[in-house]
Formats: sequence, C-alpha cells, structure tokens
Amino acid sequence: MRVQNVKSIADYAEPQSARWGALEATDVEMVPAPLGLQPNEYVQVSWEDRPYGLLEQASLRAVHDGAKIAVQLSWADAQPSTGAGEGFPDGAALAFPVRGEPELMLMGSPEAPMQFVQWQASKKEARSVLAKGIGSSLPGAPVGETANASWSGGRWTVVFTRSLAGSGESASLVPGGTSQIGVAVWNGSNEERAGIKAVSPDWTALSLDP
Amino acid sequence: MTSKRQVAMVIDLNKCIGCQTCTIACKTQWTNREGMEGMWWNTVSTAPGEGTPKGWEKMGGGFRKGKAQPGKLPKQGEFGTAWNFNTDAALFQGDTHNTLGPITGDPDWGTNWDEDVGGGEYPNSFQFYIPRICNHCTKPACMEACPRGAIFKREEDGIVVINEDHCRGFRFCQEACPYKEIYYNTVTGVSQKCIMCAPRLEEGVPTACSRQCPGRVRFLGFLDDEDGPIHKLVYKYKVALALHPEYETEPNVFYIPPLAPPSFDEEGNPIDEDRIPLDYLESLFGKEVGPAVELLKAEKAKKKAGGESDLMDTLIARNWMDMFGPFTTNPKDVARTLEQRVQNRQG
Repeated sequence: MRVQNVKSIADYAEPQSARWGALEATDVEMVPAPLGLQPNEYVQVSWEDRPYGLLEQASLRAVHDGAKIAVQLSWADAQPSTGAGEGFPDGAALAFPVRGEPELMLMGSPEAPMQFVQWQASKKEARSVLAKGIGSSLPGAPVGETANASWSGGRWTVVFTRSLAGSGESASLVPGGTSQIGVAVWNGSNEERAGIKAVSPDWTALSLDP
Repeated sequence: MTSKRQVAMVIDLNKCIGCQTCTIACKTQWTNREGMEGMWWNTVSTAPGEGTPKGWEKMGGGFRKGKAQPGKLPKQGEFGTAWNFNTDAALFQGDTHNTLGPITGDPDWGTNWDEDVGGGEYPNSFQFYIPRICNHCTKPACMEACPRGAIFKREEDGIVVINEDHCRGFRFCQEACPYKEIYYNTVTGVSQKCIMCAPRLEEGVPTACSRQCPGRVRFLGFLDDEDGPIHKLVYKYKVALALHPEYETEPNVFYIPPLAPPSFDEEGNPIDEDRIPLDYLESLFGKEVGPAVELLKAEKAKKKAGGESDLMDTLIARNWMDMFGPFTTNPKDVARTLEQRVQNRQG
C-alpha cells in the first residue's frame, strides 16, 4: 500500500474528510483469529461453538507528512457498541513490526516484537501496545498515538495517527522506506474482546513516499 | 505456582442466623467506593433459593474431569443493582405513613432476595442460610481463564487476587468462576472480588466478616495448621465440606452442613426422618455430607447427654479467639496508615 506524502496530516484528521475519498483504498482480507491460538483452554471452550471475527474485509488508506502517519481504517459494523455500562466496546488496532519478522497471527515473539495502536469505542484516547507473543501485550512506548472515530451508515471509520519515528522498543517508519501493517477488529456487540477478534492473516506491505 | 500455605475458612451453617452483619462489615470495609455500589463480596443467601447472582448454580464455569467449562457472564441485574432509599422522607419528616423502601425503579432482584422462601411442605418446611465469599480455590478457574495473567494466587497464603493494573475488563474470569464471585466495575473497567481481607491478615487481624460475626460462625486459619480449628474440622473430623466440589476448583471455604429438627407425621408427631432432605444437601456438598451429618448428630447427642465431645467444643467456640488460628490481633492495635505499616516493617 502506498503512503502518500502530504503537506500536513492535520488535514486528514476527520474520518469522513473528502480528502480521504480522493485516495485509493486498499482492501484487507479479515479472518477470525484462530481458536487454537487463543491463550487458554477457557477462552477456547467458551468460543468453540460461537461465531466471532466474522468481518470479511477492512479498508485502509494512509498518508504521511514526514513527521506523522495517518491511517484511515474502515469496516462494516451494523450495530455499533460503545461499551457503555456492562457492554463490550467495538475496537480496532493497527500493528507494525518493531524488528525482525514477527508473525502477525502469533502477535510477534520476544525476538521479533510488534507494536500496535489500539482504539476502543469506550475510550477517548488511543493506546500504544507492545506484544511479544499471544497474551503478552503490555503498554508500549508512546508514539504520539491518536484515534478519531466515526460511525455512519453501518460503518466505522477510524483515523489513527502516530509519529513516524519510534522511541524505545517501538516500530519506526521512514519516508522513502517500507514497512508492514496488520489489522485487528473487535465487534463489541458480539462480546468480542482480547484474542476473540477478526484479524488480517498476514501483513500488508507499506511503501512510504519520500 | 503452588502456594506454600493456604488460608481457609470454615462456616458453621448451624449457627448462621442470616443477620448480614458480615455482609455489611465487608461492604463498609471494601466496596464503598465508586462503581462498587452493587458489589457484595460477602453475601448471605437463603437455601434453597436462586442465590446471588440469581441462578448462579446454573451459570456454568469451573471444570469437569479437568476440562474448563464454558460459563455465562453474570449481569449486574442478576446480582441486584444498588438501591437508594427514601431515608429522609420515611425517617426524618415525621410522616408515620411513609414507610422505608427503595426509591430507585422497581427492583426485582438483590442479595438474599429469596429470603425465607425455603423448601419443603408445611409442617416440614425448612431453610438455612449460606454465607458466601470468594473460595480462594486451589485451582482457580478465574485465574486460568484470564488471558492477561492478571489473576494470581499469593504464594504465602493462597489468597486469589486480581492485579487491577493488568486487568482489562475482559471478564472471562467472571464467566469461568463457577461460584460467580467476581464483579465488574463499570466505572474503573476492571473486575473486582473478595481479597480475603489480605491487608488485615497481613497484620494478624481476622477478616472483617469473621470478626464481626455475632454468631461465631466463621473459623479462620491456615489449612495445614494442625493446632487450629480448620485442620481439625476439615481433615480430622471431615465435617467441613466444600460447596459444590463437583466444580473441581477445590475451594478453601468449607461449610459445616446444617442439621434441622425432625420431620412431623400427619398427626404432628416427630418421626425419625431428616427435615432437610439428604439428597438436597448432597446436591450442595457432595456425597461426603451424609457421614458428616451423622457424625455431627452423634457428637451432639453425646454432648447433650453430658459426655465429652472435642468436635462440639470446637464448634461451640466458647473462646472466641480460638476460632481464628494465628489471626487474633485486634484491629485497633495495628498501624492505621500505610506509612506506619511500611515503617513498622522496616523496624
């Protein structure tokens, strides 16, 4: 996926901005995160007869301005869930490799960690998370992460932003360079949380304009 | 990790009068903060009954033949949401016709909602109370279900606690706990439960529910303390039994099963038949409850006839402080602030 260099990503802050519409979208195939990769027996037995991660496709667009990257992620969700009260929130995350070649499905490993920026409909702030394998995720190094979400016409559209440069153990993106991006989506109204989610089975290549 | 020692509790159902002092002792100590309004880490419900949360015994979880079982996520309404009362209007405005009652909506469940419904047919009706807290299980289903590893069993005393800094509010623990003893705090977004008054125990003070109990119902101590009452009741006399051992989590809260007056025949004469059906007690405490009830009856009769019974003497608990193993410190004698406690530890 090409990441166009634009004057300022501030112009792309709004999820429904017409500027996004002018960019070509990359469709990403989504599948349920495999039951066998869930971190414990309880989660496996309680979901073995329950459908989850049914989202089949998500749509990505991205721009950078030399300092920050903005990624617009959009997916179909007929019933938005903000996670108010006892509900579970809708959510989404964008993953980037920190180093090595992390397996997206395995959420990386100690040798090849991945970092993601996570959004939840129940929270105002986005979170940076570091993962070195399934069930290992911990607060990640701050990368100026933000998320701005909008639900309209049966779709969530979320604009994630973060700095291109990483600090500490985080993924760095370089203008003119390449990286990879992975997607996860949680459907709150189906009580999806933790490893119960839809994921892109493999990385999508990112190519940043100089 | 296996704990080196295990704190355990024995609750004598023959002495519980359902006064809820334990419930309030716990409430004021631990669950009087925001988001905890509907939480009762200690409940006393009437048996037979649906309990708290409503119908918890049919919500699944735990293990069967070692395999984790799916469980239902209990909702706040099934525990019973917090009620506000017309305290001012009923008690302070001089209107004797205005009686005390909840003013928040139309509540349809709460802890001990089915008080005094009971079982059996008059004149052979029966009921008893079951106080419940987290069982601090040897094999905690909640701990195994947490994908975050946020629940752990303390090495020094086997108390099961949730690390709220790691908890993300996924609530698999609530589903997996077959006793449904975990609550979700919608304000803080984390799961919370009985902590066996760990900070009190660390200072040698008994749990609030044990110490405040006017009926001397609750014994407390380490399971392996052969001089303490817990070991005696659980292992020596085998009269203290886990609730629903078939859930396979190996609880560390045990119950002395309830005895009841004999049944009456149609003419109203007492007959040699248990008022509380054995199969009902077995449905709660397993097959071991039969021999436990027989031993309790025999020892009671012995004592009544003027004989000696170490078991009855233990259960009577003439010396209050004998009930709490090593936890006999008066709360007024311990450091009141965290700073003081840290200072004391550093000498």
